[in-house]
Amino acid sequence: MTTHGSEPDIPSPHEPIELTLARLLRIGSFIAAVLIAVGIGTMLLGKEALATRLITAGLLALLATPIMRVITAGLIFVREKDWRFACFCLVVICALAAGIYLGRVHS
Amino acid sequence: MLVQTLEIFLIAITAGVFGSILGLGGGIIIVPVLTLLFNVPMQTAVAASTVSIIATSTGAAVAFLQDRLTNTRVAIWLEMGTSTGALSGALIAGYLNQRFLYILFGLLLAYSGYNMFKARKNELPEGVLPDRLSQKLQLQGSYTDRQLGKRIDYQVTGTIPGLIIMYFSGIAAGLLGIGAGIFKVPAMDQIMRIPFKASTATSNFMIGVTAASGAVVYFARGDVKPMITGPVVLGVLLGAILGAKLMVRLKSSTIRKLFIPIIIYTAFEMIYRGLK
Repeated sequence: MTTHGSEPDIPSPHEPIELTLARLLRIGSFIAAVLIAVGIGTMLLGKEALATRLITAGLLALLATPIMRVITAGLIFVREKDWRFACFCLVVICALAAGIYLGRVHS
Repeated sequence: MLVQTLEIFLIAITAGVFGSILGLGGGIIIVPVLTLLFNVPMQTAVAASTVSIIATSTGAAVAFLQDRLTNTRVAIWLEMGTSTGALSGALIAGYLNQRFLYILFGLLLAYSGYNMFKARKNELPEGVLPDRLSQKLQLQGSYTDRQLGKRIDYQVTGTIPGLIIMYFSGIAAGLLGIGAGIFKVPAMDQIMRIPFKASTATSNFMIGVTAASGAVVYFARGDVKPMITGPVVLGVLLGAILGAKLMVRLKSSTIRKLFIPIIIYTAFEMIYRGLK
């Protein structure tokens, strides 16, 4: 219980995981928002084919963000030698990959 | 076309605001609005809603992570449950009686809604003793509460029961396509005794991951229609960024009070679907 409350218990040479992940998510949502916004603008101008492509690209960027987030978290835990949590991330990644694979096979 | 896009966009902003404050996906708003008001086919609406869950999660998580409201260690521990649960749900789909599941999960939600109602005046959990696994995994957290103007340190308990519930919430998501956050928030609040704000922020962080695997499948099937999904996702994204800024300034008890009617409504809707 002594670890409770005090500022970073184990000093780390790296920035906290929260800030790294926040930056990753901000970049991902920014790219997605810009692509989709430009896509909707293009749609209103009547260029449907280009609009579809831009919006799809934006949606894919958004989709990739949480997956990248799990992978990045896993890599951070490996760097911190926190093997237990690195394993937890690996379990999540495998389950996601299997889910995607099964879903595509069945569709 | 322009008016319709604008309308969808504005409703999506609302869904994003509420979803991000409550730690939910917002499908409860998006799916009925698209199908009933805009005559969008169910499949397209569900696909759009699934992609927009990622938007809610990603848009709001930035602010929550910076305020340390998100407990990343708890999130990753529990994501093992949700992701393997979603996978199991997809595998056993068709072998199980869906009616029975709707009623079971509906009753479960009604029960946690009742517990939430009883705890409606509590701002923060008190006297939480961490279990051994929670200590070993260092799940405890702390954040600065902007509303209370002080630093909140908290302990986490019910580490294994929490994981088991997340597994079943994953099954519900994979099988019935519902419950992005509606099971996660009560489990963290009532079983793991995490402060309500940290529970919704952590739920918000987690829902994007499960939704991503579902969204990939919808993409592959061609259910994601860019012209519908685009405005929805953009609106939800902006709404989530706004909602997160609002949420960090709200009291935990206020957020809980907003959550109660939604959980009760969802419980009744699920029981109804099981019975009809």
